[in-house]
Amino acid sequence: MREKETTLYFGPQHPGITGNMMVKLKVAGDTIVKAETHVGYLHRAFEKLMERRTWMQSFPIVCRICVPEPDPNEENLARAVEEIEGREVPERAKYIRVMVLELSRLAAYFLWMGGQSGTAGLYTVPQWSVGDRDYILDLFEELTGGRIYHMYIWAGGVRRDLPEGFADKVLKTMDYIESRLPEYDKLMFDNAIFQKRAQGIGVIDKDKALEWGVVGPPLRGCGIKHDVRKDEPYEVYDKLDFVVPTYEGGDIWARAMVRRKEMEQSISIIRQVIEKMPGGEYYNKVPTPLNWFVPPGEAYVKTESARGEFGYYVVSDGSLKPRRVHVRGPAYVHGVSLLENILVGANISDVAMIMNSLGVCPPEIER
Amino acid sequence: MDKDFINENKTIEEIKNTFHSAEAKLQRKNRIIVKLRSDLIPPFLSYAKNYLSFDHLAHFSCVDWIEDNQFELVYILYSYEKNIIAIVKTRIDREKAEFVTVKHLWRQAETFEREFHEMYGINFTGNNRLTEFILEDWDDIPPMRRDFDTMQYSKENFYTRPGREDAQDVREVITKKSGEKIPDFAKEFSVRKLK
Amino acid sequence: MAINLKGIVSPYNALKQIGRKPHTVQYPFQKKEAAQRYRGFHYNDLEECIGCGTCATICQNEAIDMIFIDGFETTSGDSGLRPRVDNGRCCWCALCVDSCPTGSLSLTKDYLHVSDDPDTFLLVPGLDNPEGKENLSWISNGNSLLDYQRIPMPELEGKERVKSFAEVVLGYSEDQARAEAARCVGCGICTDNCPVHMHIPEYINAIARGDDEMAVKIIYDNNPLGETCGKVCTRRCEEICAVSKRGEPIAIRWLKRYATEKAKNKDILKEIVNPTILPPNGHSVGIIGAGPGGLTVGYYLALRGFDVTIYEAKDHAGGMIMYGIPKYRLPIDSIDKQIEYMKSIGVKILFNTKVGKDISFNELKQKHEAIYIGIGFEVPYKLGIKGEDAEGSIQAINFLRAINSEKHVEIGDKVVVVGGGNVAIDAARVSRRLGAEVTILYRRRVEDMPADWEEIEGAEEEGVIIHPQAIPLEIITDENNKVKAIKYANAEMIPDPKGGRPRPKIIEGDEHIIEVTSVIAAIGQEADYSFLPQEVLESIEIKRGRIVVNEYQQTKLPWLFAGGDIANRRADAISAIADGYRAVKGIEMLLLNKEIKNGGRLN
Ligand SMILES: Cc1cc2nc3c(=O)[nH]c(=O)nc-3n(C[C@H](O)[C@H](O)[C@H](O)COP(=O)(O)OP(=O)(O)OC[C@H]3O[C@@H](n4cnc5c(N)ncnc54)[C@H](O)[C@@H]3O)c2cc1C
Ligand code: SF4
Ligand code: SF4
Repeated sequence: MREKETTLYFGPQHPGITGNMMVKLKVAGDTIVKAETHVGYLHRAFEKLMERRTWMQSFPIVCRICVPEPDPNEENLARAVEEIEGREVPERAKYIRVMVLELSRLAAYFLWMGGQSGTAGLYTVPQWSVGDRDYILDLFEELTGGRIYHMYIWAGGVRRDLPEGFADKVLKTMDYIESRLPEYDKLMFDNAIFQKRAQGIGVIDKDKALEWGVVGPPLRGCGIKHDVRKDEPYEVYDKLDFVVPTYEGGDIWARAMVRRKEMEQSISIIRQVIEKMPGGEYYNKVPTPLNWFVPPGEAYVKTESARGEFGYYVVSDGSLKPRRVHVRGPAYVHGVSLLENILVGANISDVAMIMNSLGVCPPEIER
Repeated sequence: MDKDFINENKTIEEIKNTFHSAEAKLQRKNRIIVKLRSDLIPPFLSYAKNYLSFDHLAHFSCVDWIEDNQFELVYILYSYEKNIIAIVKTRIDREKAEFVTVKHLWRQAETFEREFHEMYGINFTGNNRLTEFILEDWDDIPPMRRDFDTMQYSKENFYTRPGREDAQDVREVITKKSGEKIPDFAKEFSVRKLK
Repeated sequence: MAINLKGIVSPYNALKQIGRKPHTVQYPFQKKEAAQRYRGFHYNDLEECIGCGTCATICQNEAIDMIFIDGFETTSGDSGLRPRVDNGRCCWCALCVDSCPTGSLSLTKDYLHVSDDPDTFLLVPGLDNPEGKENLSWISNGNSLLDYQRIPMPELEGKERVKSFAEVVLGYSEDQARAEAARCVGCGICTDNCPVHMHIPEYINAIARGDDEMAVKIIYDNNPLGETCGKVCTRRCEEICAVSKRGEPIAIRWLKRYATEKAKNKDILKEIVNPTILPPNGHSVGIIGAGPGGLTVGYYLALRGFDVTIYEAKDHAGGMIMYGIPKYRLPIDSIDKQIEYMKSIGVKILFNTKVGKDISFNELKQKHEAIYIGIGFEVPYKLGIKGEDAEGSIQAINFLRAINSEKHVEIGDKVVVVGGGNVAIDAARVSRRLGAEVTILYRRRVEDMPADWEEIEGAEEEGVIIHPQAIPLEIITDENNKVKAIKYANAEMIPDPKGGRPRPKIIEGDEHIIEVTSVIAAIGQEADYSFLPQEVLESIEIKRGRIVVNEYQQTKLPWLFAGGDIANRRADAISAIADGYRAVKGIEMLLLNKEIKNGGRLN
């Protein structure tokens, strides 16, 4: 006998949801038959707002597109404008940017660890990981003046040079974080409960992954070795030594392990950056922001964020304000067409696990 | 042919040979721009995906060129194999904003098309899910159209807390003191409110 | 199925954290100090702030209002306004701090504010939180978004310059002009110092946007000699430029020059300015002297439908800008273009018509309903020392006039110029171009010289020797009463007990003699009012050589207006233009407004 189908509204306020959004589920028993993503709870019309703001005024906006990881947004807007303008960026600024981007990746992964294990019912990990993330936020506070919204990377370089003694603090924090990773292994990655909940769940079909627009850890969790930092190295990634970990299986577990291994890579990248960072300028000044005209042109730039390829399509019509800034976060695809697809057949209790593993982030979907 | 861009230029050649009317050019390393008549977009995208290995629809964008009375649809394709991004562009009429879906090529195109339907008022035939996406009960003009005035909208729909009416305009205060009269034709150049 | 023993046991590792010191801060007993760069609430140094409003303009959240607060008034260089931040809107991006020209605005480490009264979220930084000064965190020092360095003006090299009368300043290219214009924050503080209150932020903004023609049009709105001012203006505006608080002021003059030079001839100029010319209104006005003041009166009255005639003693218009200012600063083509343009819109100029000689003042009075006098200061002061009448002892303005009229003046190869103003420098630099070695003798210190510092520098680059604190005593002549040498004494500076500027005092016995071929005196001029009939002279008031006027440049005789060097103490072209502009308003009121009582006095 076929079970009766019922509709279940998952979210918009739900502890397992990654931000305010809702997934409308049709379930038969506890098996999902159909899933529909509903967003709109966090729409702030940033893209529209930027069309009314000068280029410089757009920088404090874009970071707000993503709380866990604002920096790729700043990076993208900066690089897009630089590409259109043909503006050079001082070498030191490029190193600083990479440091910021990797710190932000680590911070994002700590937050993800909390969310991912929290949805598996492991409540100690979030306590730890959010606390450990705070040590990275301390670094951001010192470097940028803000813990969450850094407003630090902008066209021409970065906003301020490293404060005195900052590099040492970063290295110390890296040592600390590195020392913590085995603890997380014991608590989370080796944990039988987590493994049970992650393995074989939320599987993405490897053959379809590219066509479906899967990027980042979910893609590498299908055993496909692609990473923007390697495919199209920006800033100084081509001068740094790191590997792109991949795992087979396409499931939550593979994605988790990819992230876990990437944390080590990020720590190593940050150490290399600090070692290799040259002196000199950190900012190639743009004109006075009130009169900063960006020549007509367009650019598509992408950055490897903690959730994968983060793209910006930016168009200038030569005026003081952007003609168009179109943000394409990984969640735009992961959280809608992909999620709706792989939720079918899944168990209700795995919805939150799957969403977390895909890095679904509604503010990125609706901006 | 530039030695540095062998891959890019080869792809451009291939495109031009297949689609004679396509304007294809190198933008920079790893980037080519292809401009096409709108009716050629579906066959081109299918060709790009199936024959040129542009399997990843990295992005899909829309730009309102209100002064030309056109929308520009921008498909940003990526070939992992070639490591090239193709920015494929076409213009469609803005008044009768209609186009065809490409969701049969990339399912995620459906989401973009829903958004453009909602935000620009473009109808994508073949996409049967052009339902509400981000907005709710919206009854104004599609808000990403350039002629939708966010400032006006917020003035009409939100109230401003009292207490800031004493704000002055610096330029006005100075002209008041000096007696300077700014002629009307110059005023647009003194407006420093950037919003 | 194998049991995952490790997976079951290892999580218990967490237990070893029991009893360890927590990572968290025990708020509120413990507080975490914000980082050195923390972006918290604003602080504003109210004394440093000039109320330019750039912070309010750049704020993308419209969080800043500019408001009047007690203790600050609108003065030259300060709008008197101060920013107030709505912390309910602020996002602490600090764009305002990084764009503040004076650096008065900062953010602090304070970030906690709890209140159930939403009005307390409005904060006047500095006023409401004076303690913020001790807590500054995000400051803009060295990290400003503004560009404090001027785009340097390309110039001929000193060595090249002295070879001819070619224009020294080469002018900005389009890119340079756009870049320089882009430095402007558009506050308009500068306009207050401009005697005619030109619309500076507007035309600079037009240039920044690439609309040079609009810039020209805006310039001509209240200055018909924009190109002259673009080349030689004394630019008081730049002195109070907001950006000058921490850097080099916007090159306002050079931008004006750039824009006005875009109109290559009078026809193009007319096409760009495209002024509205009102139909004749039947009123007639006479103007004495085609200096910048007289020309301004003529131009704007003609546009407003008046029948204007300028009576000019010489055969060229421009007054001192034609006969005083040397051609390497203001070429004749440029003057001609500007005058031709004025004629083309209906200004009539009668040349070689000296009032008092070629036509009497009374005749003028009968012909016109109102008269503007702008005859300038043309009679030089004498040095008052022995030998001054010798051959080879000349007056700077006579010398410059002769040179500007392309006459030959014999000065020999060793010249001493006496004086420290712009006229002295001009005479010196012209003498260099005639091939002479030049020394300037000036009574006070170099920093006391009234001449423009750029002019002083320019002179030095061209090889002029400046001898400060030197007072001439006697011109020594030979048997043919020709200048042979000059005797001068060195002076020391005596501080003024009343706090005024120090005065030079001759050091007894420290006298020297320099052999020279000529001495050029440039210590000031005065006016020649002899053409005015006695009854007019008696009815108007002349104080220290200048005619006393009201705010409309009206003398005690309602129909008689005066302006330029004979009425203002600033003695520069832009002040003469401003006088002319005010006189236009006065004459318009007088002749068009029938209501005026008080016997025609305008105030
Ligand atoms: C050497 C020199 C350099 C200068 N450099 C600068 C500078 O760089 N920047 C600046 O801003 N200013 C400069 N000035 C000052 C500036 O030129 C004068 O302040 C300005 O020209 C004064 O304008 P005005 O309208 O009073 O008339 P003036 O320019 O003095 O002109 C008066 C006119 O009246 C005519 N006139 C006199 N008497 C009669 C009469 N009875 N009948 C008919 N016509 C008569 C004269 O022929 C003359 O054309 C300089 C002056 C000199 C002498
Ligand atoms: S920008 Fe600075 S100087 Fe100008 S008003 Fe604001 S605080 Fe004052
Ligand atoms: S910090 Fe940013 S948001 Fe706040 S007042 Fe300054 S410019 Fe506005």
